[in-house]
Amino acid sequence: MKFPFISSGLGILLMSISVVVSAAPMGFKNSWMLMGDFSKTYQEFGLNYATTANDAFGISASAMQTDNSVSKQQNFEAVYTRKLARWNMPEAQANIWFIGGLGSTTGNTFTGSKAMASPGIQVDYETTRFYSMASARFYAAQGATSNITTARLGASFYEADYDEPQPWIVVEARRMTFVSNQYEFTPMVRVIHKRYFVEAGANLSGQLRFNFMYNY
Amino acid sequence: MKQLNVIIAIALMGLSQMALASVKVTVNGMVCSFCAQGIEKSISKMDETKAVFVDLKNKVVVVEAKEGKTLNEKLISEEIKDSGYDVVKIETIPQTVAQFRAQQKDKK
Repeated sequence: MKFPFISSGLGILLMSISVVVSAAPMGFKNSWMLMGDFSKTYQEFGLNYATTANDAFGISASAMQTDNSVSKQQNFEAVYTRKLARWNMPEAQANIWFIGGLGSTTGNTFTGSKAMASPGIQVDYETTRFYSMASARFYAAQGATSNITTARLGASFYEADYDEPQPWIVVEARRMTFVSNQYEFTPMVRVIHKRYFVEAGANLSGQLRFNFMYNY
Repeated sequence: MKQLNVIIAIALMGLSQMALASVKVTVNGMVCSFCAQGIEKSISKMDETKAVFVDLKNKVVVVEAKEGKTLNEKLISEEIKDSGYDVVKIETIPQTVAQFRAQQKDKK
């Protein structure tokens, strides 16, 4: 089930990115980050390497399709991730991220392959018990431009020790203009345990969703 | 009297050794294990590190030195900053990592 766009004000607020999975989109210096985001209408698989505490370079392959599977598009990109700002507080952390992709796109709504650029931004704020994020990413190609805007709110069941798995409930509102101009809402269970990050849920139409991140 | 002085000197030497057992770093921004694991990984790689404990609840990192090695506080601070966090305070504590963990458990 899809819901109409909530309000234009919220839409403007959410002008930041859809990154794979939507937690920190890169790991610590000299680490690899493997990411995946899978649902019926959107699948993305990405890998990046953090050369500094603020920069990561990687690749991404993503595919979008409409609910009825009539329109489809596939994107292949080299992706640069930059931590633009971080605020470290005693009990919280906030970030602004830039994510930019350059690559090509193919699809069944146009012929051949087109050059594509996909700039985006993500902002997030989290504590040990609360999580919030807003993002937007634009997939710009001649005659085939779309965007994805996302917002997330989450709460943890309890404050976990470093060595313990920590479960969360996260609710996501996501609009992919390639699929629809309406927002889809997806409640998910998230579990974080050191280098592992997984999320699973289903949107209000019952379409399954699975995300993961692995940092090493 | 001379014997007493020797005993006190030995005891003080022992205390001095104990006092240098670990370094405790207070860190801002540590909110989840997925993000903070970079701290554990990078400090564990340091030659003089015997053990690392990341305490998310108290926002501290405790690093224990190998026997006969001295921890480099500046290097530890740099590794934590490279992991994306801010070091607020760094101090030596008399406990080992195991003792510190046990102490935190007892507080619960």
